[in-house]
Amino acid sequence: MYRIFLLLVLILPFITSCRKESPYSPDRVIIGIPSDIQTLNPLYAYTVDEGAISELLFLSLVTFKWDEEKGNLKTVPMLATDWIWNSDSTSLSFNLREDVYWSDGIQCTAEDVLYSFDLYSDPVVQSKLLGSFKSLYLNDDSSIDLDKSFKILNPFSIQINFRSDAAPVLPEIIFPLIPKHVFSKYERKDIATAKENLEPVTNGAFKLSDWSKNQSVTLRINENSFLYNNSSIKEIIFKVVPDYNSRLTQLKKGEIDLTELVKPDDISELKRYAHLSIKPVKGREYDYVGWNNIDPDIYQREGRFISHKLFGDARVRRALTHAINRKEILEEYLLNYGELAAGPVSPIFKEAIDPNLKPHQYNPSKAKQLLAESGWTETDKDGILQKGKLQFRFTLHIPSGNPRRSYAATVIKNNLRAVGIDVNVITLEPGVLIEEFYSRKIDAWMMGWFVPIPVDLKMSWYSDLEVTPVNFVGYGSAEADQLLDKMEKRISVDEYNQLLKEFQAVINRDEPMTFMYWLDNITVYNNRISNMDISPLGVVHHCWEWTINN
Amino acid sequence: MNKKIVRIFLRRVLSSAVVLFLLITFIFFLVRISPGDPSQRFISPAFSPQLAESVRQSFRLDEPLFNQYTVFIRNFAAGDLGISYNYRRPVLFVIGDFLPFTVTFALVSFALQLLISISLAYYTVKRKNSLTDKIVSGTMLAAYATPVFVAGVILIYIFSVQLNLFPSSGIAPIDVHTYGFFRKILAYAHHLFLPFIALSMVEVAILYKYLRDNLNDVFNKTFILNLRANGIKEKTILLRHVIPNAANPLISVTGIELGILFGGTLIVEVIFGLPGMGRLTIEAILTRDYPLVIGCTLIAGVLMIFSNLTADIVRAKIDKRVLIGALN
Repeated sequence: MYRIFLLLVLILPFITSCRKESPYSPDRVIIGIPSDIQTLNPLYAYTVDEGAISELLFLSLVTFKWDEEKGNLKTVPMLATDWIWNSDSTSLSFNLREDVYWSDGIQCTAEDVLYSFDLYSDPVVQSKLLGSFKSLYLNDDSSIDLDKSFKILNPFSIQINFRSDAAPVLPEIIFPLIPKHVFSKYERKDIATAKENLEPVTNGAFKLSDWSKNQSVTLRINENSFLYNNSSIKEIIFKVVPDYNSRLTQLKKGEIDLTELVKPDDISELKRYAHLSIKPVKGREYDYVGWNNIDPDIYQREGRFISHKLFGDARVRRALTHAINRKEILEEYLLNYGELAAGPVSPIFKEAIDPNLKPHQYNPSKAKQLLAESGWTETDKDGILQKGKLQFRFTLHIPSGNPRRSYAATVIKNNLRAVGIDVNVITLEPGVLIEEFYSRKIDAWMMGWFVPIPVDLKMSWYSDLEVTPVNFVGYGSAEADQLLDKMEKRISVDEYNQLLKEFQAVINRDEPMTFMYWLDNITVYNNRISNMDISPLGVVHHCWEWTINN
Repeated sequence: MNKKIVRIFLRRVLSSAVVLFLLITFIFFLVRISPGDPSQRFISPAFSPQLAESVRQSFRLDEPLFNQYTVFIRNFAAGDLGISYNYRRPVLFVIGDFLPFTVTFALVSFALQLLISISLAYYTVKRKNSLTDKIVSGTMLAAYATPVFVAGVILIYIFSVQLNLFPSSGIAPIDVHTYGFFRKILAYAHHLFLPFIALSMVEVAILYKYLRDNLNDVFNKTFILNLRANGIKEKTILLRHVIPNAANPLISVTGIELGILFGGTLIVEVIFGLPGMGRLTIEAILTRDYPLVIGCTLIAGVLMIFSNLTADIVRAKIDKRVLIGALN
């Protein structure tokens, strides 16, 4: 009896394996994601995946598509059928569709739009857009002054008023809207823990079908939506597969249909699978080496901004960039899935990029010359540059668990040693590293940065560090400040782009950090999916338009 | 005697509560004095700096450490472990999503480990120095020496990629909620077979080694020879005399092993995409979700103490002589 039981236990799983559960379905797409989402409320959609899923569940006033030719956003109607600016661009009126209903049957109206603005800007709610509505009339606590900023013209028309001194842009006021009748019954402080964050009332192209925690999120097409098209996919599943190699295995086996952020060195292997397509998308993310422009010790001790003894001089920072062979890393490690960076404006913004502005090239001789001009020379024959009694030695901090940055750090260490600079590389857990450079305690570090659409440079490069805490390197330039201030004025698009180009020239000259390379987001997907528009706006953006070839 | 046992048992429970209290106090201060804080996830071009500051204030992270501790203890005494910063839900509810899987997975895995290791140990000890004995011992040594992450990847490569017999990840098919009861059980067994093997290989080898040596020792004792000489059936000798004597030292080890399993099996969970406590704890640590870190630590501590206590009770049940010592 015991032996039979033992035998049964051992062979049972093999018996079950004889019956294959095919994940394929003619109407279904399965996307592999590395971690589960934590909310379905767009107010708290802090991560990329949460943002992408909430945009499928909730409508916005309008939506955007990426204009590949111009490198810019193209506005497309969504809840609003049309919109019109007044003559001096201080107000914008939206006419809303009358055929949109929440999943509980209540009609979606202008009241929901107004309420959404109210909640997103309320400091008590702590939404992801807190502090982002700079062009609207605000109260002292930074919430929107609703009386001044909005006028409901009728249940399906709303007018938004902007401050006369602001330069409003449409993306600033576009976000997934939420149902007033659901959340208005909660105290504002309790919305973060509302049960509707997990069982949402939605009005988007999809509705929640099932959420198995840490396993999968299943969305079903909303057949009552005006976005519904009979030929499009009926179901999209976000399957949690934490291990990167497991995601690739499942992609090869057809257990999942799509995954993002594939590493370049896996591409040649994946190309052997005929059912897979590879789509690299030009980057919104760059790697950089941060050179602390200000002295960390004096800043820690006295709170004063004094030029860093090594990196305070722009010539030294340019020299460091010239000394690092970024092209080698791009070719050897990234296999050219990316491009060298000339500054903080991504090459995807084609109209904002100055084609004459080239990235600093690898040129050790030029680096030595610039260092010599700045007073760094080798005097005691130990191979390390000196300026007075100060030797050019520093510690480069890199995050753990990132092979690309470890590889780059090795190249940097060797390259800089060749021009007489001694680098000690230290690996820190990412959370610890962020704490270190955020509080300006360290001299040099390597990290990445993801740029928003549309371009927002002031938050990273304005010299007032109290209002721009993400200016991690402590860069300060009156010239750059002036340009950034001008960009916030009411100017034409051409003038704005011209200012952007001038700003990039200033950054290229001052080189506050070494901009390494823009990274491609490599997406691999099953050929059975068609009509995809993979753009910098995201992979599943507008995925209700996808179709399946069976 | 009974009164004494009850008193000792209560003392053990009380000392366990003190240990748990000290544990969460230690973790409370440790996570807070470590670099980084929960508002780091809001340092991003996607958010305004006001959000990070607002979050710091609402989590009371701008208050002195002692004030934070006082609030924590007050809430803890009321059974409230706080709200998870990441999940924005009560910590106990979040843990409630992960714990049932971990406990079930650990118990089934543990039962299989015992079943397989006892069977193998008994089988080989009866065929001492035979070819089978040598093969099983060699295999067990190899299993013991193979790290879980290597075993997991090899199993996926052979059984999932090459032979396509088992799925490579997850606990069930996407459509499992539409299945009937028995089909559901089969689907879970099918998905969890490789994780069970990966997780159990090392444990089976450890338990096998202990049992094999102990069984061998006991079989060589003169009282076994005496029993055989008196005509006692071999099965009775095994069940009544050999296993109780051989298993005694093993029980303490299994108590600790089970406690570790309850705490989560991070590597297996990551490789096979399982929603267990290990992944939850690591994610909480990396994102500085302080209430969730403390919650996970507390639950792991409780389960560790519980499994050790259970092991001691079982040991005492088998051998009354160790009753007081085991509970003490």
